[in-house]
Amino acid sequence: MKKLPAIYLPLILGILVVVTPACSKKAVQSGGDAQTFQQETAKSGTTREGTRRGGVSPNFPDTAFSGRNDSSSLRGLDRDPSEERLSSDAGSNGGFGGNGGSGSNGNRLMAKSDPGAAARQLAEIRAEQIASAAAELRDVFFAYDSFSITDEGHHALSNNAEWIKSNPNTQLKIEGHCDERGTSAYNLVLGEKRAKAVRNYLVELGVVPDHLSVVSYGKERPFCTEHAESCYSQNRRGHLVVRTGN
Amino acid sequence: MTFRTGVIVGFCVVLGLVWIIESGAADVFLEATRPDFQKIPLGVVGIDHVGGPESPEGRAKLGSRMEEVLKADVRRSLVFSLVDLSNLGIKAGGRGGEPDPSFKQAAANGVSVIVWGKAGMKTDTKTPDVSMDGYVYDAGSDEVVGGKRYAGSMSVVRLMAHRFADELVFRYTGEPGIARTKIAYVSQQGTARELFVMDYDGFEARQLTTDGFLNLMPHWSPDRRFLVFTAYRNRNTQEIDMIELATGKRWTLVSQGGLNITPALSPDGHFLAYSSSHEGNAELYRLDTRTKAVLRLTTNAGGDLSPSWSPSGRELVFTSDRSGGPQLFLMSADGANVRRLTFDGDYNAAPAWSPRGNWIAYVCRTLKKEYKLCVITPDGQKRMQLTTGHGVDDSPSWSPDGRHLVFSSTADGKSQIYMINADGKDLERITFTGTHNSAPTWSPAS
Repeated sequence: MKKLPAIYLPLILGILVVVTPACSKKAVQSGGDAQTFQQETAKSGTTREGTRRGGVSPNFPDTAFSGRNDSSSLRGLDRDPSEERLSSDAGSNGGFGGNGGSGSNGNRLMAKSDPGAAARQLAEIRAEQIASAAAELRDVFFAYDSFSITDEGHHALSNNAEWIKSNPNTQLKIEGHCDERGTSAYNLVLGEKRAKAVRNYLVELGVVPDHLSVVSYGKERPFCTEHAESCYSQNRRGHLVVRTGN
Repeated sequence: MTFRTGVIVGFCVVLGLVWIIESGAADVFLEATRPDFQKIPLGVVGIDHVGGPESPEGRAKLGSRMEEVLKADVRRSLVFSLVDLSNLGIKAGGRGGEPDPSFKQAAANGVSVIVWGKAGMKTDTKTPDVSMDGYVYDAGSDEVVGGKRYAGSMSVVRLMAHRFADELVFRYTGEPGIARTKIAYVSQQGTARELFVMDYDGFEARQLTTDGFLNLMPHWSPDRRFLVFTAYRNRNTQEIDMIELATGKRWTLVSQGGLNITPALSPDGHFLAYSSSHEGNAELYRLDTRTKAVLRLTTNAGGDLSPSWSPSGRELVFTSDRSGGPQLFLMSADGANVRRLTFDGDYNAAPAWSPRGNWIAYVCRTLKKEYKLCVITPDGQKRMQLTTGHGVDDSPSWSPDGRHLVFSSTADGKSQIYMINADGKDLERITFTGTHNSAPTWSPAS
């Protein structure tokens, strides 16, 4: 890309105008999850701030950084220093306040947290596990880096489809899981691809899409935690769960 | 390939090159530390315990604890080199900040800065109260250039030393230092993963959420007041939440169905970039935090995720698998000028743009299929692998001074959090408890 003779310039510009749209050719999207989302929001009352508008809350505070000097700013060395009073979190860390002088022990909890939430989640997970075990639904396992359903997976899903069709009042959740290799973030994408592959095949087999929802847990809820292929293969899965309540 | 396609592809490549040349240097700031940067030799004589009743932890312990914290901070600042003064005959200065005659030998011994102090329990307060004084002698000007006096409860003993260390960095570089910064992260609690925050050195951990399920990949607001992160509503739907650290107050920012992951606030806090799959596959969006308007940034059949802002807020680096495996791409903050950054290896993900602008850290998969930390310049000209060996490294995040990275790794078995210098030296583990600590994110400085 050194110097081009000036004579070529109009020619290049002309070709650029013609070919540029081809460079940004848009690809076709697969089906969205708007329907699933509407089901979710209809079922779960929001306990947090804000009402929904297109999935975006209108009521969260402005996070713009004012760049102001807060109490945590350094004041510089002083030849005759006056006393600076420090409190834990507040003062030294601008806006981290609220716990000043409450002791140096770790694991202090926020006042607003709901200690009952964890117990409720556990009870609900247990109920789902019991319902899912009773349904004898079979999970689907995937190869490394892959979201293609294997022959074994197809067989498992055929059995599952029969059960789902004969239990038309059941809502099913398809969880996408990954092994620990790779990044947390990308595994959430991979997990969703696996869950959607399972959903799409069930729909092909005649299951009503309204009865299925997908969620990706990436590598965050592994079935086993050893660093070995025997464990990894357990964690690369599409896990079918019968939803109870919520 | 037909002739016409060939011409089109050719010009797309030329266009890409022009964009790279145009924008490559835009976000690279001048470095305060060159590779050959000479650290300033600094010696800590000691922090003595003086006066008052014994501290609950014993007389000597209070001062020596502060001294230990201060020395570790000085070492991690990478601005100073910590000199051992014990064999140089240099004694502590006076308790009122007077220089000691032995300081005269400092310059001859190559010591530029001498620090000493005192700590004690205050007697004139009802609750146990701690005080610390610290003084700084500069060999170049042969004078005590100043000091600090701190007071507070027993809970701020470490903070006093951290703050003094940051004052030293500020005095010699004009930068605020990192000793008072925090690291937010995810920690396994039973079957749940909750948000925590700790000091940058791994101490003073504090739990922020008790949802009992999954909270993932926190990211700081530029004013350090908030974290944005991915939460699961009823375990079935993802959403992007924000929590205020001071109060624990929560907001749901985005709940669009499908994936709602990898939120990142722009350096000015005006925009939240995130990935959502509510329109099909994972695409990048940008939410204006003032008007709440959403702009879609990417449109293609691949998954786009993990946006990280350039320090100027004009560009984003992100992960995309539009060309097969995940690779890093760059684009303008409005979604224009997309071009691929990484070409080495078949898996590059989780990018983090350095606050100095000169490097982008990310997770690279090596030929041995190991997931390690790499850095690449935004123009793609230089690339380095920072970590080696077994274990999955993930979620690199820069210190605000751009001299360190924090990341998670399974190198020692369970996922724990580690710190490493930007040049790959001084690997240091900073979490030691629990079965799983991950997704560390380093706060801005104050």
